[in-house]
Amino acid sequence: MAIGMGVQAYALTQATVRALYVDLLSQAQWEDLIRAPDYDGVLALLSKTVYGATLQVDRSLLTPRRAAYQIRFHLAEVYAKLIRVSPSRARSVLAALWHHYEVDNIRVALRGVEAGATWDQVLHLLYPMPRYVEVTLAQLEKMVRSGSVSGAVNVLKGTQYHSLLDHALTRYEEERSLFPLEVALDLGYRRNLWDAVLGLGKQDRETALMTIGMVLDIDNLLWALRFRVYHHLSEAEIINYTLPMGYEVRDDDIRLVARGGDSAQAVFRAYPELRESLRGALFSTGEELGKLEQALLRLLIARCRRMFIGSPFHIGLPLAYVLLNEYEVRDVTLLIEAKAARTPASAFAPLLLTPQA
Amino acid sequence: MFRSQSMIRVELVVPEHDIVAVTESLAESGTFEVDARNPGESSVSQANAWDQQATVYAALAQRISSVMELLAVDAGSPPAEALRWIDPDTVARDVDTIEREVKGPVQELQDARRKLESLSRTRSQVVPLYGLGVDLQRLRNTTYLYVILGSMPVDNVARLQASLEHIPSTLVRFGERDGLATVILFGMKRDAEILMRAARSAYLTVAELPDEYQGTPAEVLEALEEGITRAREHILSLEETLHHLHATRIRRLRHLHWRVQASLTLAQTIAGFRKFRYSYLLSGWVPEPGVERLRRSVVAVSPETTIEVAQPTVQERAVAPFQFSNPPLTRGFQQLVTIYGYPNYEELDPTLLLTLTFPLIFGVMFGDVGHGLLLVALGALLLSRRVRALRSMAGFGTVIVACGVVATLFGCLYGSLFGFEDVIDALWLRPLEQTTDILLASVIFGVGVLTLGMGFNVVGAALRRRWGDVLLDRNGLVGILFYWSLVGLGAGVLNAELPMPVGALAAVAFVTAIVIWLSERLKPLVEGHGFKRADLGMGLVEGFFELFETVLSLMSNTLSYVRMGAFAVAHGALSLVVFILAEMVDPGKSIGYWIVVALGNLVVIGFEGMIVGIQTLRLEYYEFFSKFFTAGGRPFRPLSLAKVEGR
Repeated sequence: MAIGMGVQAYALTQATVRALYVDLLSQAQWEDLIRAPDYDGVLALLSKTVYGATLQVDRSLLTPRRAAYQIRFHLAEVYAKLIRVSPSRARSVLAALWHHYEVDNIRVALRGVEAGATWDQVLHLLYPMPRYVEVTLAQLEKMVRSGSVSGAVNVLKGTQYHSLLDHALTRYEEERSLFPLEVALDLGYRRNLWDAVLGLGKQDRETALMTIGMVLDIDNLLWALRFRVYHHLSEAEIINYTLPMGYEVRDDDIRLVARGGDSAQAVFRAYPELRESLRGALFSTGEELGKLEQALLRLLIARCRRMFIGSPFHIGLPLAYVLLNEYEVRDVTLLIEAKAARTPASAFAPLLLTPQA
Repeated sequence: MFRSQSMIRVELVVPEHDIVAVTESLAESGTFEVDARNPGESSVSQANAWDQQATVYAALAQRISSVMELLAVDAGSPPAEALRWIDPDTVARDVDTIEREVKGPVQELQDARRKLESLSRTRSQVVPLYGLGVDLQRLRNTTYLYVILGSMPVDNVARLQASLEHIPSTLVRFGERDGLATVILFGMKRDAEILMRAARSAYLTVAELPDEYQGTPAEVLEALEEGITRAREHILSLEETLHHLHATRIRRLRHLHWRVQASLTLAQTIAGFRKFRYSYLLSGWVPEPGVERLRRSVVAVSPETTIEVAQPTVQERAVAPFQFSNPPLTRGFQQLVTIYGYPNYEELDPTLLLTLTFPLIFGVMFGDVGHGLLLVALGALLLSRRVRALRSMAGFGTVIVACGVVATLFGCLYGSLFGFEDVIDALWLRPLEQTTDILLASVIFGVGVLTLGMGFNVVGAALRRRWGDVLLDRNGLVGILFYWSLVGLGAGVLNAELPMPVGALAAVAFVTAIVIWLSERLKPLVEGHGFKRADLGMGLVEGFFELFETVLSLMSNTLSYVRMGAFAVAHGALSLVVFILAEMVDPGKSIGYWIVVALGNLVVIGFEGMIVGIQTLRLEYYEFFSKFFTAGGRPFRPLSLAKVEGR
């Protein structure tokens, strides 16, 4: 019965995802891109891919920063298409996931205000979000033009982000640092995403947790480790700056990291499959944390690819597809910046997540 | 009426010292569209000081708009007199003065509001502690205990408790308001730093009690109430000051706003002109009747300016703007055309045809005397602009009136009044009873409209002297012949009386089909360019599929008009449903019956009227326009210094 309902609800979604799947860059295309002689070569190759349409901009304007901005339009289209064709509950989860970029845009706008940047300087650092947004481009512009952080927060009145930031404003005023605002934004957003997932039916919830749950776990674990390694925060602070919920990473793991316990124990308990590749790591240096992040994201990408095996009539398929796209866009951006800076392939290729996954 | 206002290409060579006056004069005339395309080679780089001027004006505009926002002044309508360039230094001095006047009270007001907010927040933090008979100040000054009183997001309370698991402490939660909980955190003095860091990381905002607010929560609350009253009074007096400033500065601000906006547009426009050593070259489009007036006004401000006027070349005509020349009554229909697209400069304007066919198609589908008259009344209301909320739709008033009039006429023909079929006699037929007749009549009407569209295409092609299209296009003369022969064959199948034998019709259809098949090859021959031989094989295959598509589209376009009859039937049927419902509600036909009938009629008018409107638009756009209208043009946009946001 449940399967039958799933087929009915997700028939259009899975057909759309299947049709879009071929747009992902193939291994051969990645190899060509990595081998491209320079930035122009990358643009020429990308113009023959699904990103070609978004790069239809006068070449003189297509700086690496602009190119990175343009290719993000593709992700916006992917999200818009899948949100449109998904059943209503899945739609709210996809939209909540999509709002991750809205959070990033708010963060960029706040940093722009703090740095006294102009709107033109900020615009192309934003994620293009033409649809399914709570904070419009006009509001972001108003935030930047407001000239003060409290004014910028005020612009967000009526959105879910206002109360999150408003509660943190006192600390901003005292410390003159965006850190408390950004942490409040991150925590609040992820709580909402978690709640959206919990609002799904049983089967969808379990499937969604396999991807979104892992995304939240990775963030939570890395936050805890970074707060300890880089910021030297106290146990109580780390706990307050992390999420109380998780899928594979438990609150006990976070508390273990927070009180300065054996971080490796927490990491390998949650992800035993990393025990071999990261053997001996203590996760107490920036380099080790970088490696851990790479390994976790590769694990997530592999899990997303596995979603395409077996029954496709569930929320896991669109979620896996948008995540694969997100990491592909991240990799293309990295490639563009590396080629523009004439970085040798040996230096940046190992950092790409999607080609080797 | 069917063509664009004739456009003339105008080029002006303006001495540098007159460029502002000439540009102002061009804008004032309202008849000059700047041609943004490169007008030719020049000896001097285009980069000039006007770009910098534009930047200066943009910054001034931003400052003015900020002050206007602070004083809640809107831009108002553009002034009646012609807008002129204004010296930026004069503006800067004025803006400096107004900013000085405004910013002080505004800053003070913001501070006062912040203070009020802070007092209110403190009050809401203290309210839950009202019954506590303890001096809050003393609570803070204990020897061994460390106490934090404040509020924090409800979502963070449990996390804070968890984070202090290993620290001797107690978190007491009192009340909750707007997602914030009032809490008191008790701990040991020696753990003060840990407790404070934990509290801050959980976004606990410590209640700051100024010195004057001492005592028990009840006493503090009383003092807070007094403080809040004082803060409110202060805010009121500052608001009055700002209100006074608003009243005295509004005219000046609006004046500056429009003049600076005009100067900004002027600077941006001049920056786009081709610059020579001592002169500028301007080129653009002017509607023919306005050329002389433009010449006179330019010469009046700059006698040294040279003006060259020329009819556009063939290439230029392809990019010339289109300006409608329709009577005012057709403006609503013109808007419907522009929603589809603007005619190309050389193309025929379909507005008048739409004005005739749109109400007709609508009326056939929505024939009812009562509903039609209500639509007339609604259209008249829109035209009168009496209802503020409907003013933006005033342009469609004529469309609705025309649709209402024709719907009323068809109501007489169908004998229908507010759905009652037995009050007036049908002058023609009753759609519900003579369904086949109305459907057949719709198809015949469709054949007529489509033929009209194809005929319009023939006339348009003839005016452009494209004789190949006139004769051989699938929407040209051969196309019309082909279509009518198909219509004749269709009528023959239905045993209709035909003016010629079926065999002859089939022969005409066959021959014209062959011509359409080969039309892309034959058109150059007709136009004197010889037979097109290149890619003959592929061309023939493509031609065959185009012929196939032509047959399919002619059939589907024609059958699309069946919906006219179908909606006429549906209109009657819906009214019938209303009466059935009314009788179910009140079989005695008293007040309940009439309420249902009235509500039902409103639903029919609103709901079905909208659907019929959409269907009419569909028939016009997809069936009718596709026969002759490419909509590849662009509107004539004269230079204006009074740019209104959102227009």
